[in-house]
Amino acid sequence: MLRSLKGLLCRPLKDRGFALHTAAKDRVSSLLTQDVQTAPERPRAVFYTNENDPANHAEQHEGRLYSIPLDELKTVFPHGLPYRFQQQIKTFNEACVMVRKPALELFTYLRNTNFAHPAVRYVIYGERGTGKTMTLCHLVHYCARQGWLVLHVPDAHLWVKNCRELLQSSYNKERLDQPLQASSWLKNFKTSNERFLKEIKTQKQYMWGRRDRTEAGRPLAEVVEQGLARVRNASDAVGVVLKELKQQSRLGPFRLLVAVDGVNALWGRTTLKKEDKSPVAPEELTLVHNLRKMLMNDWSGGAAVTTLSQTGALFKPSSAYLPQELLGKEGFDALDPFVPIPVPNYSPREFESCYQYYLQRKWLQHEKAHTEAGKEELRFLSGSNPRQLDRLAGPL
Amino acid sequence: MDGPRALASPSLCGQGTVAAGMAVAVGRVLQLGSRWGAAAPGVQTLRLICTTTARQRKNVGASGPEKYTEAFIKNQIEEFNLGKRHLANMMGEDPETFTQEDIDKAIAYLFPSGLFDKKARPMMKHPTEIFPEQRKIQWGEDGRPFHFLFYTGKQSYYSLMHETYEKLLNAQKYQDQLIAQDLPPQKKKRNLAGSRWLTKIELEEMLLEKLSDNDYSRFILLLEKLMTLPCGDTEEKYVQKFSKEVPVQLQKVVIEPLKYDERGVAFSTGEGGRKTARATAVVYDNGTGKITVNGIDILHYFPVLQDREQLLFPFQFLDRVGKHDMVCTVSGGGRSAQAGAIRLASAKALRSFVTEKEVEFMRQAGLLTPDPRVKERKKPGQEGARRKFTWKKR
Repeated sequence: MLRSLKGLLCRPLKDRGFALHTAAKDRVSSLLTQDVQTAPERPRAVFYTNENDPANHAEQHEGRLYSIPLDELKTVFPHGLPYRFQQQIKTFNEACVMVRKPALELFTYLRNTNFAHPAVRYVIYGERGTGKTMTLCHLVHYCARQGWLVLHVPDAHLWVKNCRELLQSSYNKERLDQPLQASSWLKNFKTSNERFLKEIKTQKQYMWGRRDRTEAGRPLAEVVEQGLARVRNASDAVGVVLKELKQQSRLGPFRLLVAVDGVNALWGRTTLKKEDKSPVAPEELTLVHNLRKMLMNDWSGGAAVTTLSQTGALFKPSSAYLPQELLGKEGFDALDPFVPIPVPNYSPREFESCYQYYLQRKWLQHEKAHTEAGKEELRFLSGSNPRQLDRLAGPL
Repeated sequence: MDGPRALASPSLCGQGTVAAGMAVAVGRVLQLGSRWGAAAPGVQTLRLICTTTARQRKNVGASGPEKYTEAFIKNQIEEFNLGKRHLANMMGEDPETFTQEDIDKAIAYLFPSGLFDKKARPMMKHPTEIFPEQRKIQWGEDGRPFHFLFYTGKQSYYSLMHETYEKLLNAQKYQDQLIAQDLPPQKKKRNLAGSRWLTKIELEEMLLEKLSDNDYSRFILLLEKLMTLPCGDTEEKYVQKFSKEVPVQLQKVVIEPLKYDERGVAFSTGEGGRKTARATAVVYDNGTGKITVNGIDILHYFPVLQDREQLLFPFQFLDRVGKHDMVCTVSGGGRSAQAGAIRLASAKALRSFVTEKEVEFMRQAGLLTPDPRVKERKKPGQEGARRKFTWKKR
């Protein structure tokens, strides 16, 4: 059923012509010039690939690992990588990501999108620990290399739970602001997209409170600065940024990628409470409201890729992983139509390469782990689930 | 005296309380009788004296002088038969064809008991089964003992040794004869593995006399010596009285052959249980190691690593980790119990795929043994099975 839906959506896009963006290609050169891996020479096993540009990843690279240079990591992923993966990067001193089929699918879709049409929404879903966030990160890296403007929300669940400060929004009396979350997001956004912020100009005048304002035609960086300086206005700054980007992506020289992890948080329930102990609905939060508007398909010139996540989800059973279950009726209707991308557990080949990677990095120290029997045992016990394998390999 | 006794037929009561009491009373009366020298065996007057219950476990017959007289036993047997007919009438069965099994069923129906110990429940058995064999009075009216070895103290034992030694001498003589006739000595095959000698307790029951360990071992040595010689037929029969058959292996477990389903794939089923959980497993050949429990993948059904390791164990032991698929159903128990139940079921199913030697290895590894541990009962006066209430000094 899902396949046919994808087919229906893909074909019209493909038929309208392939979009080879020469503009995007030019961007590549202006980006960080080091495309070549400057790792020390050592014999790379079969499961590695030297192709470090995700744009060139094709089916022959499926199941292999490619590494991201560490300084690129800081700019492209100031936030957004899973915590365990960050620890692994620190341990191994390199960031190796596996090339998997869902990511390659997404690359083909993105390459063939017609940017004159409304933005297509993709929903990556799958069971717990199968690699949805990593797929999203792979995609973000690809788009960053291609020169897109990446709006990466690492975990939307952080915005609906564990929030200490809730301020009443100055812009709209009914809504609530979250200054801390907004300011941290703005900071990371700035790190990843600095050069864009200088080039994009605001189209309207914005008033911050009674005294400050930003004129039309000023670079967006100023809005971001305003948000960072005045933490009270951070959420509104985020809203402004989102609105501007939405309007300008259609005409502007850049492509916009909206990458949201844990999108089911936007339509679920929150654990936040107002001062009178009444629960807060997600629409009452400024950040959530603005992000929802962003995910509507009324803008063009980019794509929106989202991930469902049960791990941080509130009030949802742990066996739920399908879009219908996690998004709820409201979310499903809001995101409909979307392209669902399922992410399965490791295939035998992918499992093999992950196992070889751990062996090669001397992560598996147990003497039995090197044997064939040990590999079978790991495969059985982890059920070829990436997260389980990672957790199992830890103590070994 | 007989009237009230007939109504409450003593063979119908719980094991021996009243009967033994009366028996001890009988014994007491009898002893008094024999001291006075007037009592003849068989004619007794009985007086019900409150006595302690006799110990039933030990061989009562060997421990002392007669406690149940012959007449008493005969009386009991008559009463038992009468009671049997009454019971058959009550149950609406034919009194002529009322067997002991029918009696047991009827008693269990009429007197239901929830006691755990089967021996504590009401039973109605033939008096020879309830009252242990008694040694008869071994001296006559004049006080002179019947047996010539009475004054050794262990007359049956010494007479037995005497007989056995006689047989031994006969066998030796027979062997000498054969040698004299230049015939080869016959070696008869004896199934050594299939039989064992009587135990000390069984021998005591047979002789109705207490033995010491030393005595018993001497007797067995003598029998062994007899065994080594080529024996004739009479000796064979004599020796067989003291040996018992032992089944070679406790019922060899039948391993079912493989079955084939519609696709032509070989499969086999197994069942297992642990605590309160019961599981059935169907193991298919030519698989990829996929396991489904109650329709759910094991990664979701058993999120804990420990349970999955339990499931892995039989396959890993046989080095067949990724080669079989399994579909199981399990119910009851908790997380660990269900894992253990499935483990046993899958091990039993895997027996059909594997050589006998490997089955033996599995058995020795403990994969085929059902775990007998169950939750221990909570006792009154304690908080749990073992935990006592907090001890307060005052």
